[in-house]
Amino acid sequence: MRPSQHLALVLLVCPALALTPGAQTNDETEIRAIIEEIDQLYRSESSYSELEMEVVTPHWQRTLAMEAWSLGLDRTFIRITSPKKERGVATLRVESEMWNYLPKTDKVIKIPPSMMMSSWMGSDFTNDDLVKEFSLFEDYTYEFVTVEAPDDNLIYINCIPREDLPVVWGNVVIAARRGDHLPVWQKYYDEKGALVRVLHYRDIREMGGRTLPAVMEMVPQRKEGHRTLIRYTRVEFDAQFEEEIFSLRHLRSQR
Amino acid sequence: MRLYIKLAWRNVLRNKRRTFIAGTAIGIGLAALIYTDALVVGMERNMIRAATASFLGEGQIHSAAFRETFAIDQTVNNSGRVVAGLESDTLVQSFTTRTLAFAMISSPANMTAVTMVGVDPRREPDLSQVDEAIIEGNFLDGGGERDILIGNKLAELLEVRLGDRVVVTAAQAHTGDLAQEMFRISGIFFLNIAEMDQSMAFVRLGKAQSMLDLGTEVHEIAITFVDPKYSRNTALPFWDAYSTDGNQALGWPEILPELKAAFELSRFSTVLVGLILFGVVALGIVNTLFMSLYERMYEFGVMRAVGTSPFAIGRLIVLEAGALAVVSIVLGVILGFVATYISMRIGFDYGGIDFAGVTFTELLYPVMQVSQFIYYPIAVFLFTALVSLYPASFAARIIPAAAMRKSL
Amino acid sequence: MIFTIALRNVFRQKRRTVLTVLTMLGGFALSAIAIAWSDGSYSYIIDMFARNQLGHIQVHGQGYLDRPSLYKVIGDYDEVGAAIERVPGVEFWAPRVFCAGLAAVGNKSAGVRIIGIDPERESAATRFDRKVTSGRSFSPSAAGEAVLGEGLAKTLHAAIGDEVVVVSQAADGSIANDLYTIVGLVATGSNISDQSALYLHLHDAQELLVLEGRVHEIAVIGDDLDDVPDLASDIKAALGDNGLAVETWKEFAKSFYHAMKVDQQGSWIMVVIIVLVVAVGVLNTVLMTVLERTREYGVLRAIGTAPAQIFRLVLLEVLIMAAIAVVLGAALSYGVNYALSIHGITLPVSFTYGGVVFTKMFTEINARSFYIPGVSVVLSAILISMLPATKAARVAPARAMRTH
Repeated sequence: MRPSQHLALVLLVCPALALTPGAQTNDETEIRAIIEEIDQLYRSESSYSELEMEVVTPHWQRTLAMEAWSLGLDRTFIRITSPKKERGVATLRVESEMWNYLPKTDKVIKIPPSMMMSSWMGSDFTNDDLVKEFSLFEDYTYEFVTVEAPDDNLIYINCIPREDLPVVWGNVVIAARRGDHLPVWQKYYDEKGALVRVLHYRDIREMGGRTLPAVMEMVPQRKEGHRTLIRYTRVEFDAQFEEEIFSLRHLRSQR
Repeated sequence: MRLYIKLAWRNVLRNKRRTFIAGTAIGIGLAALIYTDALVVGMERNMIRAATASFLGEGQIHSAAFRETFAIDQTVNNSGRVVAGLESDTLVQSFTTRTLAFAMISSPANMTAVTMVGVDPRREPDLSQVDEAIIEGNFLDGGGERDILIGNKLAELLEVRLGDRVVVTAAQAHTGDLAQEMFRISGIFFLNIAEMDQSMAFVRLGKAQSMLDLGTEVHEIAITFVDPKYSRNTALPFWDAYSTDGNQALGWPEILPELKAAFELSRFSTVLVGLILFGVVALGIVNTLFMSLYERMYEFGVMRAVGTSPFAIGRLIVLEAGALAVVSIVLGVILGFVATYISMRIGFDYGGIDFAGVTFTELLYPVMQVSQFIYYPIAVFLFTALVSLYPASFAARIIPAAAMRKSL
Repeated sequence: MIFTIALRNVFRQKRRTVLTVLTMLGGFALSAIAIAWSDGSYSYIIDMFARNQLGHIQVHGQGYLDRPSLYKVIGDYDEVGAAIERVPGVEFWAPRVFCAGLAAVGNKSAGVRIIGIDPERESAATRFDRKVTSGRSFSPSAAGEAVLGEGLAKTLHAAIGDEVVVVSQAADGSIANDLYTIVGLVATGSNISDQSALYLHLHDAQELLVLEGRVHEIAVIGDDLDDVPDLASDIKAALGDNGLAVETWKEFAKSFYHAMKVDQQGSWIMVVIIVLVVAVGVLNTVLMTVLERTREYGVLRAIGTAPAQIFRLVLLEVLIMAAIAVVLGAALSYGVNYALSIHGITLPVSFTYGGVVFTKMFTEINARSFYIPGVSVVLSAILISMLPATKAARVAPARAMRTH
């Protein structure tokens, strides 16, 4: 079981980015605006994307290629296209329920609640990640911070979760570019101040009419030899597709 | 007859030293029987207590479907009525209500599966020993809604300490929706029971109920009785009375069949060894009695010479044996009482050993029971009287002259 | 010289000797039987328990017992198994594969523990085939069959003949999934285990999880419980140092091991009590004897016997009687224990555990059941007789000869 990375997966599922030229002031409104941008970064009414996920563990290394559709906040459909062994494996999420389709056995399995926290398709993401998400905006408090050896091109924001928020982090520091406010990295700390994991954003390019980091890499700090990397190869925002995609029937059909 | 009884007593008390020595010998045997019985009862009680007092309780009530599937929807039916019944039931010493849910707990370092138990902090300490096993923090005393109590092995796995933040994820009743709540470690316990130390997390009943959308429902009601013997009795009407409305009330023999098996075997072993012990004591009685009686062959020879009938001699011997038995019983009962009493105060230390998945965390105390002071003395009395028949018949048949000449 | 006198004294007073010897003999025999019973029933239970599932000895990859993991494996299990089999004293060995996964029947799904077993070896070693409560066990070679724990079958509403999908993560990271036909249900005696256990044929499990030739555990059954520690060393030596860990039941079934210790403590108390009662009986006899022979001791002292010699005389008599008692007692208890170790004692209520029905218990003949009673009886007899012996030695000759 690996810790959930809900923010990252939300990004996986609904990539979107608003470009906002930003002035550089240090006041309250400025921070909230930036956070709102980053929050909205991951929102989209509907989207289609093609991506690769590379998982590295001390025992093996795999790269999965997949297609993903998402509608609003509560419907997701993902189908794996490579490697051959996994081709056709699909996951459907509608609100808080989840199903997997396995072509080899031609069966649809509902993921029982007890398995929601276990890893999705063997990755560092959990089934649960696909299901829930937190709004950065409402659930955290924010402040500008300075870090050791700061980079002048970046601004740093410390996000502290609301006391009773069901997350295990003490705080999350986001580094974003001055100017376009694109995230560069996110560092997750426990309540004692120890760094637990780092999410890197890289490879900024234009996709689907927006500029966004095409690569995200999650590196746990306390687990040797584990990391997960996601690379977008194609993104379409406000895509047009049938709602019927998010159905069990579609789940079963081999495309 | 009364004359002979008086005679018997006088003979017995006449030679104080011999009587005392013989009486002590038999008395020690009796004391040994009493003490061993008390010890064994104590051991059995301990075994049961170790299994039930740590958490399980002597009996449990669930919805009948719950025990099969552990589905979160299967709460105790009509729990209000059951609780009211238990509160006024004279057999019940204490009871407590709980919710049980399969959940995941995660910390920054790790994540693992646990059983999340929602407990009533007022009632629970009366029933289980978790509150006595706290090594850090408290047993949900603080009043915090988000308090959580975990075992030390779990704390190790999650790399958390008192005050740290964790997240618990579980499926809600009825909808199966995911519920996630943040908790802070408010206590750490060490029961030396692997399953509990590794995979149980305790939270407030109210919090669990709201998190799991259970309203006021519970999954389990655990019970202890005023006397442990009730829990062992599967024919007790109590079980049927609470197994209505689709509920099922069970005692520990049915909940823990392995313990029941171990218990039965222990019982049988005890009976066997008890028989052996009685055999040894019986031998002691035989030895003592024969010695005292053969000693006095000269005396009996004289009596016969003087005209006492063989039957009278025999009867006298048996009566003397009876008198001796009475003396021995008095000595034995006193000795047995003292020995058992002292052990009851001090106890034996087993030091936290596991047995049948259960831990002896307590001392072993022998248990004194009135029956011990009735059955064993009677057995000793009867046996002594019985044994005396052999030398009695021997003495009845002696030839006076020969007896007076020979010594043993 | 004193010895001859002692010997003659002993045989002179037949009845008293018989009584004393009988008491000591009884004490010896009875405590020998008590120990043989306690050790025997305990060994029997441990043996049954070990043979039920865990085995006497287990072999794992390094560190598996502490923190189990899919990746801590025994490679080339066939060869390792063959090497184990060559070690004398090994009766059976059985390989196992363990993994967590998800199983679904119809629209019911549940988390499971996947257990891959070699049906032939497993049945020989742990009577797997006898734990099947409905349907049947596996076919000898992998045929896409699954056997479920009873509790799991209930949760999944599964019946014999149903198809079950099993999903997990393979050792190469890929998604492991396949279909199996349920052919049987088992009850292993552990409810918790049966709630989540899904058994597959070893080769099916290895294929599912991409574990060619690898297993997580090899359970070994030896032919004698007492030889297990030595057997474990032999196996360790036979396997050389290829990073495998060999553990005995004392290590992987700690709770049972402790329970045995607790029980043995209990039987110590019994032995103490038995010895006490015997000692008292002996004291009684010897004291009576000494008191009666006051005159005799007086005479002996008068003719010049030293007190120390009288002391020794009394003790010697006791020792001779003790020796006779021990010899006879040993013979008697050996006879009884031997009979009981073969035929056993029938339990009043039989109980079932893990598919095994316990109807009888057996005693065990071992050194303990001889030397413990032997030493206790002799030692206590001698110690307790020191009192009367002292009394005899301190007899004042003149006064003694005046009594009768």
